[in-house]
Amino acid sequence: MTVNRRKKPASVNPMKIGQSLGAVLALQGCYRAMPLIHGSQGCSAFPKALLTRHFREPIAVQTSALQEMDVIFDANRNLEEALNLVLSKHRPDIIGIIGTELTDVAGVDYQNMLKTYKRERNMRGGLAFSVVLPDFRGSLESGFSSTVESMIDEMIQQVGHRGQRSVNTRQITLLPGSFLTPADVMELKEIISSFGFEVIALPDISTSLSGHLLTGFSPLTRGGVPLDSMLQSLQSALTIAVGGSMERPARRLHNAIGTPYKVFEGAMGLKATDELLHFLHQISGEPVPLRYCWQRENLLDSMLDAHFQFAGMSVLAALEPDHLHSVSGWLEELGVEQKALITSFETPLIAGMEREVWVGDLDDAEVLGKGADLWISNSHGIAGAQRTGAAFMPAGFPVWNELGAYMSVSAGYRGAMEWSNKAGNLLMQREAGSRESSVRHR
Amino acid sequence: MDPLRQDEFDSQACGSMAPKAKPCPRPKPGEAAGGCSFDGAQITLLPIMDAAHLVHGPIACAGNSWESRGALSSGPSLSQYGFATDLTDSDIIFGGEKKLKDSIDYIAGRFAPPAIFVYSTCVTALIGEDMDAVCKEAADRIGIPVIPVNSPGFVGSKNLGNRLAGDALLQYVIGTGEPEPETDLGVNLIGEYNIAGEMWDIEKLMNSAGIAVTSRITGDARYKEITWAHRARVNMVVCSRALLGLAKEMESRYGIPYFEGSFYGAKETTYSLRQMAYLMNDREMERRVDRLTEREEARLSQELRPYRKLLRGKRAVLYTGGVKSWSVISALKELGVQVVGVGTNKSTEDDVRRIADRVGDDTEYIPEGGASRIIKTVRERKADIMIAGGRNMYVAMKEQIPFIDINQERHKAYAGYEGLLRLAKELTYSLANPIWKLAASPAPWDKEAPPYDR
Repeated sequence: MTVNRRKKPASVNPMKIGQSLGAVLALQGCYRAMPLIHGSQGCSAFPKALLTRHFREPIAVQTSALQEMDVIFDANRNLEEALNLVLSKHRPDIIGIIGTELTDVAGVDYQNMLKTYKRERNMRGGLAFSVVLPDFRGSLESGFSSTVESMIDEMIQQVGHRGQRSVNTRQITLLPGSFLTPADVMELKEIISSFGFEVIALPDISTSLSGHLLTGFSPLTRGGVPLDSMLQSLQSALTIAVGGSMERPARRLHNAIGTPYKVFEGAMGLKATDELLHFLHQISGEPVPLRYCWQRENLLDSMLDAHFQFAGMSVLAALEPDHLHSVSGWLEELGVEQKALITSFETPLIAGMEREVWVGDLDDAEVLGKGADLWISNSHGIAGAQRTGAAFMPAGFPVWNELGAYMSVSAGYRGAMEWSNKAGNLLMQREAGSRESSVRHR
Repeated sequence: MDPLRQDEFDSQACGSMAPKAKPCPRPKPGEAAGGCSFDGAQITLLPIMDAAHLVHGPIACAGNSWESRGALSSGPSLSQYGFATDLTDSDIIFGGEKKLKDSIDYIAGRFAPPAIFVYSTCVTALIGEDMDAVCKEAADRIGIPVIPVNSPGFVGSKNLGNRLAGDALLQYVIGTGEPEPETDLGVNLIGEYNIAGEMWDIEKLMNSAGIAVTSRITGDARYKEITWAHRARVNMVVCSRALLGLAKEMESRYGIPYFEGSFYGAKETTYSLRQMAYLMNDREMERRVDRLTEREEARLSQELRPYRKLLRGKRAVLYTGGVKSWSVISALKELGVQVVGVGTNKSTEDDVRRIADRVGDDTEYIPEGGASRIIKTVRERKADIMIAGGRNMYVAMKEQIPFIDINQERHKAYAGYEGLLRLAKELTYSLANPIWKLAASPAPWDKEAPPYDR
């Protein structure tokens, strides 16, 4: 309907996350990869710490460690040094060079430098690409999808000249959006493959950030989609993108090599899951597996059980654009009032929503969502939820006040059921809490 | 001492305010770890709990860093708010000074803080924003101190950022106020950040010996108390050698004697309390400290007995920054834990000397970062436990090494006598946890011989 902004000069309690963090996240879903942030040390230290806190896993990332004089004279000397060291010491399969606002404002041309570097070293076999992601535009979501797009670009360039594309009709490329947890990606892979398809998720954080016990530590990413599978994905018969932000990388594949694509704006809630399963049923000709028929009934039954709890309740949600869109759809199905919807930046998907959305921060959430019973946002929202007396449900990024947040499922019928139960329980506990507090013991 | 290289000695000048011969070592591209100067400045100043902290720059500097440290507050929480000017493309092209000014006005009007700290970032420093002028003008207009902190990330290490924050305090805060008449003057605690509430344990101890805390610089501090820090009788530099310069400068400006001490371990705690009383030049206080420390040590050794029995002979690798590298060694030694490897990459020459005093000859020094290097030491030296910061926690988990978090994100307070007991308990829990055995044993089907030869 409309996208609004509150008029205030400063951002107070920001929910926006730098784009470069999204890029680091995307690269965690690739096997033996190394994201290399071209900026000062803090540009990589902060995202590393934040991602570690959320996923409770070591995070692979390196920096060109720019200092003042490097920026003024020759920032690319640092980048070259970093590349030399990373390549010789760790031999990654994939390197993603992430430009920051610092290199952007200073006007550093590292894309050309990377080209020359690759030519001079005769670099083959690996994947090295760069992406420009200054923090004064977009947020985590756009950083993530731009990185996937650049990665795809590089893949196409590497194999593009090999002539006619052979198509594997039983293979689907899944482009999961940044708001999906490792467990969500796993769930989507399972759903798609249950119709007889092979799925290559790009990137695939379900096998890298889901808490595996692969022995030993490596400075590179562990798990994730390996390079050969990535390249093999160019033979997929279809691309399925989940999240509006993933449409651009999907379109890129379509335009360059002709892979048809289908975008699902989300995979949360009854309608969204119905749509996904119906589509898979149609293209595969396979019946919907029995377990999803069961899960659908489980979900409907749990929504019936919970609807008393949600009656008359109001919710505020402050999330990244795609995530907000899918959570809003799910809230619609619960029949609760959506008191305030806040997001980090404007996207076409958000602009096309039928509800009023605010671009802002968690302070806006506090003001606009005053009186809401349930507060859904990242862990930065805890204090605001306490101040406004709302029950707090952590979601999005970063979440640090809950164990296993990265393994919580929101996708599919199972995910919608889990979220409905979680939200309902929080409201129930809040109600019980307010009753108890009326009794005073001496 | 021979495994040490020249680099470590070069870094000594980072912490001091005196003119230095050599700059801090340049971080190595592709292998650098740790935060930037902006990070360091925030670490030092964010624990001033009632002030507003405004980051002048694009969103990520503030958005990726707020609420990341475990410095606790006993009251006001405005410093836990994330404020940023959130610069956009056009702000960078046309200049962000107007936005900065408006942001300061907005924060002052809405939150009425006693002071606003404004942090520069790489981008605002690069485009040449005149932050000092904007802050000065704003302070005059709105009538509260607006303090520029010129510590953009690219000027150097976290350590340098600590020092630059100390400079800002010296230049704009210390000496601008006077204590209330009934204030009992005593010791400034410099570089104690109240991580997990450690300050509260320390303050309790000091108070029971009759020693007052004049200003907390800066754990759980209020802006006002720092303005009168120049009236203290003694400065104690607790952590962060980078703030040693602050103490030195206060000695030459206001004649306040200082000493460096630590609260990790019973011996260090006793030493620090004694040193305070000694420098205050108060016999009665010295006697009170003696009585207190004797009593506390006796009680502690009683309570530690069961844990000492379990911990004796255990081997640890310690990887932490600056002062903690040597002070935690003392604490571990008191528990009977042998330190077989120790990180020195953020330690100064003095720190390294102190480390050498405290460890045996066969202890390995780990001069530079990289998780693989730490793990190698753990394996080679057959360590039982790794003690480091949160960044390395999950590295240890992947290698299935028992781990204790000793840095700023931790949730346990290890300072003072109570803290040592807590550390002993945590070490025991960690080492004795059943998970290590469970994770190391294979699934039953993997134990059996394969049914066929494959």
